[in-house]
Amino acid sequence: MTPAEQPRLVEAVGLTRTFPMGAGPVHALRAVSMQIAAGDYLAIRGPSGCGKSTLLHILGCVDTPTGGTLIFDGQSVGALPDAERSAIRLRGIGFVFQRFFLLPMLTAAENIEVPQAEAGAGRRERRERTAELLEYVGLSHRATHRPSQLSGGEAQRVAIARALANRPRLLLADEPTGELDRATGDQIAALLDRVQHDGTAVVVVTHDAAIAARAARTLNMADGRLVGGDV
Amino acid sequence: MNAFAFAARSLIRQPGRSALGILGIAAVGALLFDMLLLSRGLVVSFRDLLDRDGFDIRVTATDAGPIGGPRLPHASPIAAEVAALPEVADAVPILMSDAEASHPGGPPVAISLLGIDARSGRHPWTISSGHDLEDVAAGTSGELLVNQALAASLTAALGDEIAIRVRCGPGRAPLPPSTFRVVGVAEFPFDDAVQLSGVVRRARMAGACDADGRDEADMILVSSRQGGGPDAAVSAIRRRRPDVHAATNEQIVARLAVSRFTYFRQISTVLSTITLLFGFLLITVLLTVSVNQRLGEIAAVRALGFSRARVAADVLWQSALLVGIGGLLALPVGVVLSIWLDAILKTMPGIPIALHFFVFEPRSLLLHAVLLAVTAVLAAAYPIALVTTLPIATTLRNEVVS
Repeated sequence: MTPAEQPRLVEAVGLTRTFPMGAGPVHALRAVSMQIAAGDYLAIRGPSGCGKSTLLHILGCVDTPTGGTLIFDGQSVGALPDAERSAIRLRGIGFVFQRFFLLPMLTAAENIEVPQAEAGAGRRERRERTAELLEYVGLSHRATHRPSQLSGGEAQRVAIARALANRPRLLLADEPTGELDRATGDQIAALLDRVQHDGTAVVVVTHDAAIAARAARTLNMADGRLVGGDV
Repeated sequence: MNAFAFAARSLIRQPGRSALGILGIAAVGALLFDMLLLSRGLVVSFRDLLDRDGFDIRVTATDAGPIGGPRLPHASPIAAEVAALPEVADAVPILMSDAEASHPGGPPVAISLLGIDARSGRHPWTISSGHDLEDVAAGTSGELLVNQALAASLTAALGDEIAIRVRCGPGRAPLPPSTFRVVGVAEFPFDDAVQLSGVVRRARMAGACDADGRDEADMILVSSRQGGGPDAAVSAIRRRRPDVHAATNEQIVARLAVSRFTYFRQISTVLSTITLLFGFLLITVLLTVSVNQRLGEIAAVRALGFSRARVAADVLWQSALLVGIGGLLALPVGVVLSIWLDAILKTMPGIPIALHFFVFEPRSLLLHAVLLAVTAVLAAAYPIALVTTLPIATTLRNEVVS
C-alpha cells in the first residue's frame, strides 16, 4: 500500500498563522492545506522565514493556527486545551530538534526513558523499550553516557530514539541535520528513512536538497504558502 | 522518572548554584528558627520558673504584682483563711526586701532578703547543703538560708553567724543589725548570676521593720489542691477575700506576655518576616535564573508532551528541595546560634540564671517547617508562571536563531 492509499493521519485545511508585531501583523502561514497519510515521508523545503517551522509546529500541536482546521488521527486539535494537546504530543507525535535538546543531567538511556515515564509506562517496560531503541539507533554502548559525552550525530540519534519512545504515529524533524557535517547528516537521514520504513510517518523540514530527496513527497513553501510539490 | 527525581537531577547538575541556595536558606532558616524560639521563649521559661517552686497561685494586694505594688497587710490571717479553703493545699506569705549582710565586724554586702512563713515543706528554693528552715525548731528563729553566691561572698560556712541590716523600704536606711545563723545553702530560681540572696523567717524580718504590727507580706504563695486545679482555687479565694488579688501562674504569664514580653514577640515577628523575605527572594532569583537558562530544554520537553502541571511540578520540587535541605541544615545551626545568643542576653543585669530567652517547643519546629514550606511555594510561583506560560514554538524558534 502506497502512502497515498494509507488512511489520513493529518489533514490541514486553510491553516493560517499570524503573529501580531509592533510594525504590523506577520503572516507566517497563509491558507495552507495538506494531508499526511500514515507511514508517509514528507519533506518541507523553502527559504528561511517562509513558514516551514511554523507549519511544523502547528502540525505538531505546539502552536495553534490563527485560522483553518487541523485534524490529527480523526480528531480536530486546533482548539483543544493545552492538557489534551500535551497528551496528543506525548503519545502520538515525536519531535526531533535541530539542536537536539537532550536533557544534560540525564544519560542517553534516561533521556529516552523520560517520555515513557511521563506516559505512565512501568519501569520494566521502559527499560526494555529503551534498550530496544538504543539498539535501533546503534548506541547501546552509549546508554550511560551523558549528552556532553556524545558527538553531535550520536546526540541526534539519541534524540530520535527519544522521539520514538512512545511509538508515535508521526515523527516531526526540524532541520535534523542542520548542526551536523555531511557524513553524519547522511547517517541521520538514513535513520529517518528506516523509521519511516518501519511504519512511522515522517515529516522533515530541511534546507538540504539531498535530505529532501530521500522523502516520498516534497512540499515547497514561500512567503507562508505552499508553492509547489506533492501536496 | 518522576518530578521529584527530575528536580533533584536538575539541582545536582548545577552544584555550585544549588549549594549557594541551600546555604542561604540554612542561614536564613537558622535565624528564623531562633526568632520562633525567641517569640515565646521568655514566656515559656518564665512559666516554667513560676511552676518550679510548687505554687500555682500568687495572691497580692493589687493586680500590680508583688514588685512595685503595695504590700498585703495582715498577711497571716489572710494566709490562714486561704489555706483553710478546701480548694487550697497550702498558702505561704513572703516578704521581700533589700538588706546588708556581713560577718560580725566585716564589710557589708547588699543582698536580697526573703522572709517566709515556713510552716510547710513547700518552698520556692532547693536546698543544696545544710538544712531547710523547717529542720530547725520554730521557736529558735534567727535561721538563715543563703545562696551559693552569698556564701562565697561572705566566705560563710554552715553554722556561721551573719549580721543582717534590713532596709524596710526603698530609700530607707538600714535598721540596726540582727544576727542570723547560716543553716543551709539553697538555690533560688529567680536569682541572677551575681545576685546575693538569703531567706529568713518572715516574723523575724517583719518584726525588725514593722513597728506598727501590720503583719505585711509582698505576696502569698498558694498551691491548689490536686484534682481541683488553680482556677477553682482562685475563684474560691476571690469569693472568700474579694479585697485581695489572686491569679494563677498562667494568668500572670498571660498578663506579662501582653505587657512586658511583647517586645520580644514584636522583634521576633519583624525579624522573621525579614528573614522569610530574604529566603523568598533568594530562591525566586535562583530558580528564575535557572529557568531562563533552560528555556530551550523546557520548550523541548513541553513539545515532547510534558504537561504544564508537570513542568510546574519540576520547578516546585526544586524549590522544595532547596528550601527543605536548607531548612534541615538550619536546625542545628539555629540551636547553636540560640545557645550563643541566649548566653549574651543573659549577661544583662537582673536576669535569673534559670530564665531563658530561646526555648524549644515542638510548635516552634512545626511553625518553622510550615513557614519554610509556604516560602518554598511562594518562591516557586514566579518561575512556575514562566514555565507554564512559555510559548513552545516561539521559544524553540528563538533557541535555533540564537
